[in-house]
Amino acid sequence: MRTQRVESSSFNALFREALSRWQEEVVKLDLVDSITTEMVRLRCAEHHDCHT
Amino acid sequence: MFFLYQYAYSLDMGHSTSQFFDEVLTYRSGVKKELANIHDLAWDVVDKELLSLCKLRVAMILGCDEEVASAKQYLNPSKADAIAQWSSSNIFTEVEKSCLRFTEEFIIDVSSIPDASAVAVREHLDEDGFVTFVNALLVVEQRIRLLLVWSKLVGNRGT
Repeated sequence: MRTQRVESSSFNALFREALSRWQEEVVKLDLVDSITTEMVRLRCAEHHDCHT
Repeated sequence: MFFLYQYAYSLDMGHSTSQFFDEVLTYRSGVKKELANIHDLAWDVVDKELLSLCKLRVAMILGCDEEVASAKQYLNPSKADAIAQWSSSNIFTEVEKSCLRFTEEFIIDVSSIPDASAVAVREHLDEDGFVTFVNALLVVEQRIRLLLVWSKLVGNRGT
């Protein structure tokens, strides 16, 4: 884990909401099986040091 | 990836990147709409020249000729030509240099970006601006990576 670089992850609300909608649409895609999807998601989260 | 192949033979090689995504994602209208939306917003929330410089560097590093050309058309030709030497050039501002340093590290190894590089961008853009910049950079990077990968699957588009 790296040093915390910002106090909060808040930023432009319109952009933040749009990014959430994009991620929701991507998650809805069903051409990749759920186990592979979860393995990739966890690998990416670890690489990006993302704890959400 | 079946949906990609459905359009493998109908893509016009002269189409823009936006048209490419529109066609590839024809049957994924939700993803298509939101990808276009976040891409448009990324350019609204970050200074366009600054983001164009970073996009150019991303495209150069990833080897996406089409997006290199796209980014260059909105930039001062002197800066575009000197971008590979930004660290030793005196034509780039300090904010541009900090963002280009962060961009290169983001593209090459996002898990190893030094704190100093992040702090430098944050000091120039303030905290909200820094988070906005990183998210916009993510959008630009993801879109170019998608273009590169999907182009290989559906046909050469000059990348």
